[in-house]
Amino acid sequence: MDGVPPEGEGGREWSFESSLIRPYSLTGGRVRPSRTDFSMTSQVVAVPRTRPVRVDPELELILSLCVRPVSVAEVASRAGFPLGVARVLLADLLDQGYVVVHTSGWESHRPDAQTLRSVLEGIRRL
Amino acid sequence: MDPEGAGPVPDTLKIVVAGGFGAGKTTLVSAVSEVESLHTEEVMTSESVGVDDLEGVEGKATTTVALDFGRITLDQTTVVYLFGTPGQRRFSFMWEELAQGALGAVVLADTRRLADSFDAIDFFESRGVPFVVAVNCFDGQRTHRAEDVRVALDVEERVPLLLCDARDRESVKEVLVELVTLVLRLELSGA
Repeated sequence: MDGVPPEGEGGREWSFESSLIRPYSLTGGRVRPSRTDFSMTSQVVAVPRTRPVRVDPELELILSLCVRPVSVAEVASRAGFPLGVARVLLADLLDQGYVVVHTSGWESHRPDAQTLRSVLEGIRRL
Repeated sequence: MDPEGAGPVPDTLKIVVAGGFGAGKTTLVSAVSEVESLHTEEVMTSESVGVDDLEGVEGKATTTVALDFGRITLDQTTVVYLFGTPGQRRFSFMWEELAQGALGAVVLADTRRLADSFDAIDFFESRGVPFVVAVNCFDGQRTHRAEDVRVALDVEERVPLLLCDARDRESVKEVLVELVTLVLRLELSGA
């Protein structure tokens, strides 16, 4: 192993006893989004020309991250929010018409053989 | 959905990478991801279901699960996400969500701690999620025989099992090819 740790995350995979109060203070204490449209890989994108004049900084941050289509998980990661917090805030933005969301049909049914073959080709080409 | 000027919105595929602590999940994801491995977390209370507000939540034990993930853009219309998740049963609330709509899973086994893989194998089997077992050979030497590991893990013949080096891009590509080939085989057989 040449002294290289097997895992790149520096050893912290989980912790107990962390406080829920801090992460969810951004959502006014709400831990569940107003809707359930967002899977981790759903693509969200800001709707052009609807950018609100005045908006909370965390919502502004999210809008700036989805100028182009980006997954919910990436929004959370880049904004530095836990996934659940990002979901609540994205749901707010969706309710207000500032973002649209697209969840792949492949979340509900397996891709067909032709798609799977092109995925195979794509992976081999990497 | 086609917001003006935002470009085409790709369809996404999700592959779950489950393995015990230190099995090499992050390394594997990083080996093929086009972006530096991304990181987020999910916070879960012991009473997460049904919790609508945080009144009285102070002092309740919560669990934070770290999720490392990567992205592979295959073409304009298809993006694959790889999500690494801890392999112990106490994190199964995360597996439920990750397994939902997943194309399949890679159980990354560490020969030093094979037992760490049992929970994940049981889970994907019970949920009918197609999966392969990839045995990470950290030292780059294939000192273990795949068949011995199969016996030790009690994995059925129909589940592909292969040795890999999670640091090596080509090796990880082989693992993903094995998984997608399995999914294709299931699709063609109507399973």
